[in-house]
Amino acid sequence: MKIQGIKHADRGVGVRDHQLILPSVVCSTHVSRRIATEVGAITFAHQNGCGIIGIDVSGIDNFFIDLANHPNVNSVVVTALGCETIQGNELNDKIAQDSTHYLVIQESGGVEGTVASGVAHARELSAKFPGTVADLDLLTVGLDLSRDVANLAEIRALFAKENISLVEATARSGSAANFSSLMSQKAHVILSFPDENQPPTGFPLIPVISIAGSGALHQAMIGEFDLARSSSAAEILDCVIAIANGKKSKSELSNNGEIVAPRSVRSV
Amino acid sequence: MSLTGYKRSNGEWGFRNHVLIAPLHQMLSQSARAIEEAVPGVVAISHDWSGMREKDFDRIAKTLSGILVNPNVFQTVILAIGTDIESEILSLAQAHAKTPFTIVTLKDAGSLQALTELGSKAAASALTGAKALKREAAPWSAVVLGLECGGSDAYSGITANPALGVASDKFVADGATSILGETMEILGAEHLLALRAITPEVGQQIIDVVARYEKSINYEGIDIRGAQPSRGNIEGGLSTLEEKSLGAAKKAGNAQFTGVLDYADRPPVAGLYFMDTPGHDIEQLSGFAAAGVNIAVFTTGRGTPTGSAVIPTIKVATNTEMADALPDLIDLNAGTIADGTQTLEEVGALIYDLILRVANGEQTRAEIGGHHEFNLSRLYGSTL
Repeated sequence: MKIQGIKHADRGVGVRDHQLILPSVVCSTHVSRRIATEVGAITFAHQNGCGIIGIDVSGIDNFFIDLANHPNVNSVVVTALGCETIQGNELNDKIAQDSTHYLVIQESGGVEGTVASGVAHARELSAKFPGTVADLDLLTVGLDLSRDVANLAEIRALFAKENISLVEATARSGSAANFSSLMSQKAHVILSFPDENQPPTGFPLIPVISIAGSGALHQAMIGEFDLARSSSAAEILDCVIAIANGKKSKSELSNNGEIVAPRSVRSV
Repeated sequence: MSLTGYKRSNGEWGFRNHVLIAPLHQMLSQSARAIEEAVPGVVAISHDWSGMREKDFDRIAKTLSGILVNPNVFQTVILAIGTDIESEILSLAQAHAKTPFTIVTLKDAGSLQALTELGSKAAASALTGAKALKREAAPWSAVVLGLECGGSDAYSGITANPALGVASDKFVADGATSILGETMEILGAEHLLALRAITPEVGQQIIDVVARYEKSINYEGIDIRGAQPSRGNIEGGLSTLEEKSLGAAKKAGNAQFTGVLDYADRPPVAGLYFMDTPGHDIEQLSGFAAAGVNIAVFTTGRGTPTGSAVIPTIKVATNTEMADALPDLIDLNAGTIADGTQTLEEVGALIYDLILRVANGEQTRAEIGGHHEFNLSRLYGSTL
């Protein structure tokens, strides 16, 4: 299966051409959103970054590195406050790519200085690292199995036959947690089967295709789903290929969905 | 200077008259932001809860329900999916206060676009009502002051924190409520705070919440005494956890402690309280917002832009160098105490006056800059 993708410096071939404004701490999310809105980039309301301890320190660090190195990303501006647990400069070193810039609010004259500098650097990175059209040889599709899927075996078989790589996440704690896991597994596109009592949701860097269940909640908001409950494996495949080739998914059109960093230890 | 505010039907007072846009599911956070953009003057929160009955559901429900009815909120536009678990949160909120709610559900609206349009209409209509409400003279007991510090440095304990303590003491003496938080940041100073408790039982509670928090961190295999002060604090010149804690506790002045509150719990009567919160600035401010805090002072050595969605948050710099370098973050510089140009009492009086002016409507730097963070604090299975 050939997909027309977008090649990014150091990140391989993706299916989207996103710039990421990455707040390393909750304190820099507002600054990040202002920069992202100004330049048309992706950002998210990061909830943590400070007061984290134990395995969460390396866990969130690695999660950020995975986000910044995702193949759907062309370049990254890391915005730090300066005194947080996850130190932006170390994160920046670990991303270790020319197409990343690192900013510190406490060293940039405050909010306005950081926003102005962030906008300028984001534009410079976009100009310097444009995505170029390229064939994607191996499409990786992430399966969010938040509910039981009747024709899962057929989907797996058909995707294998088409030489599409499948990665899976099976937690039953809401799709957002599964999306984070699938992002780290470098899924280009996510196929989401949300819990019957949960709405369809998205993930800012990755097109999410949602397939409705049969329950009343999903049927009441059926317009927010990409595919109906009775979709066959072949119909799902067609949709995945269209979205991978650039058609926008419902979650992309509505911009819904937060990026939820995995946590397992309370803050101090 | 006199105090003015907005009287709420449950007897609480607000110093702001916000129309709050509150999503009850993370997938509605974007709609909340869209409404905030479409209707200038309203304030939205966003969060990462997925509407599941997770281990931390009780804590999440308490935080979310509490902020929906913070006294600074005139009316709340609630964006919901349309599930039973959301109804539990609304019932909890309504047990605290009769803040008017307009509830828009995705289940009824049918699409995110329709939900955003309905929410925007409700927000615009609520804003008209909010603007029509007039301030009236408020008693000192109207003040529920939140005390916070973040990005502390070696000056915190000798400039901004004790100066804030002077202001806090004056409010408490006049019948207001003041709340100190950040449990792990009084570790090493808790025995001194316990001596100031109204009863031996309250004193023991202060000792116990600190011990419980430290034990829960030890249980994870981490020695808090090694993790604090943070690297940022050390760069700011702090040498030990005890030095940081003794300085942090100074925010609460010298008044007697009336009681100890669990995270996000509302204080039952006026007085000085200790609340069991994380030191993480936004987890603490969100807990304060849920507890009904209506004004906060945030001392900082390194400088931070953050504010609360519903609480006007005054930033006090601990040192002149930072106050000069980051002017758009700082409302008042207490570094003058270390410079030798003002006394502790003088700066304490300036903080007191600024709290009154902000309560009466003057905008803080965080408000002018649009900083209104919110998040949900979780224990992640810690049962202690």
